Amino acid sequence: MMNTPQQVKNPSSSLKSRFITRFLGALTKITAEDPISSSSPTRIFQRYRRIKVASNKSMAYSVRSRRIWSRAMLSRFRSRRSAFSGRRSSVKTTNCTTSPPPALIKVTINEKKTAKGGLDMQTDELRELVPGGEAMDVCNLLDETAHYIKCLTTQVQVMRKIVDFYHLSK
Amino acid sequence: MESKAGTTETRSNITASDGEQVAALESLQFTDEFHRLILAPTSDNVTSLTALLELPASRALELLHSPASAKLIAAPAPSFEALKGNFLFPSNTTLIDQAARSSVFAGGVNNTNNKSNAPETTSNNSTLNLEKAVKSEPAETESSQPLVSDPAVEKRNFKRKDHEKKAKDSTKKSKTAANDSSVGPEMLPYVHVRARRGEATDSHSLAERARREKINARMKLLQELVPGCNKISGTALVLDEIINHVQSLQNQVEFLSMRLAAVNPRIDFNLNSIFTTESGSLPDNKFPSMVMPLIWPEVQVNGNKQQHQQQWQFDALQQPVWGREVCNNYITPENSLLSYDSSANSATLHANQTENGAMKSEVVPTVRLVERLL
Repeated sequence: MMNTPQQVKNPSSSLKSRFITRFLGALTKITAEDPISSSSPTRIFQRYRRIKVASNKSMAYSVRSRRIWSRAMLSRFRSRRSAFSGRRSSVKTTNCTTSPPPALIKVTINEKKTAKGGLDMQTDELRELVPGGEAMDVCNLLDETAHYIKCLTTQVQVMRKIVDFYHLSK
Repeated sequence: MESKAGTTETRSNITASDGEQVAALESLQFTDEFHRLILAPTSDNVTSLTALLELPASRALELLHSPASAKLIAAPAPSFEALKGNFLFPSNTTLIDQAARSSVFAGGVNNTNNKSNAPETTSNNSTLNLEKAVKSEPAETESSQPLVSDPAVEKRNFKRKDHEKKAKDSTKKSKTAANDSSVGPEMLPYVHVRARRGEATDSHSLAERARREKINARMKLLQELVPGCNKISGTALVLDEIINHVQSLQNQVEFLSMRLAAVNPRIDFNLNSIFTTESGSLPDNKFPSMVMPLIWPEVQVNGNKQQHQQQWQFDALQQPVWGREVCNNYITPENSLLSYDSSANSATLHANQTENGAMKSEVVPTVRLVERLL
């Protein structure tokens, strides 16, 4: 395990630490609300959804408004939340903040991949993947993609560490 | 002038928020403004842009170093003309002087030169690779339009000549000469570019070229970011790789959140306890993983034994059930994970059930978790 003394890092200094703070807080809330005894698959699925949303939300909040994709994501959260609270829907699991499952995206695009025409198709695919990509020009889209990939990598890294931690510590 | 500067400023401000690279590359399309702005760091209108552009100087370096990059960032004349009606060129002499003295492209090369001498010397001394585009000659008009700075033009021209071995348009040379002669130390609003041999000098194609260069530069960055993309040649394939990578990352987030959902019920992430826990207590937290399951059951004995036993059985039963059901409904990898967690989870479940143990179990795992995460 960790034998080194705790390294105090400035929590606000890095994207990673900001994300960790928020995400752990969200996880606390989620796990606190769910009674352990009712761990049916349905509950697990609901929890999975909430955790996914929390993860994306934490990352978007950590990036704040510095990026187009994070702004788009945050506005998506807010609009969904306002719509949700307005409708009082009992389906809490509709907070799928990421784009539709990637599999669907691949299926819907069937154009041929020419040297030039293929670029259009792929940029469209990229637009669907990156939140807020529809309104971006190709130049910005590539920029946003780069930052989005970086943030996604951090997200995955942290989540994997959390999972491994609890895996090993038990 | 104000409108142009204002627009540029707006543009630069917008791009500033998005990223220095964007700012740099986008501004390069408007070469004259860019030229002037980057060279006038003290100007109010352009501080943001110049600040931005100073940063991406390295980016510009990368861009311009690439042998494949054409005369990127050329401000096409027609588009320039289109802009002409809308923009006014700053005749700020201070701007011009500073422009003459400094050069962002030079990457910090001595900025003490000015006037026509400066460009020549700086052009020779500076990294010529930097001076790839920046100028576009107005093909249609000549002296009728306001002129780009003489030193700037000369600088660019000289650098271009040094750097580019391709044949130049004689017309461009003459135009440059005409511009040079007609303009003194004043900074000309135009920036002139040299077209490569065989390349169209059409304004549209220049704009296209600039745009393509921008996109190619960003693609290169993405290639570095995505593993395995360096060997792939061809934009389409690289984009495919990038798309696959993004999709795989998003899928991983989903998988991991599923795992966390399965594992989580046992763990409380008590952030308060994390931050209030002093470092001194950390050595105490180094329970070997074996110890924990042993400790907590002992604590259990005093407490709600039956409840926990029920939980034990519940877990033991539920886990395999989860495994099966989950397997049917969700992703297969989760199945193995759940069954893997069963024995571990039962132990922690006990820990969390106890009052005394709950706090400890919260603190200990979370503190160590945070350690490992950071």
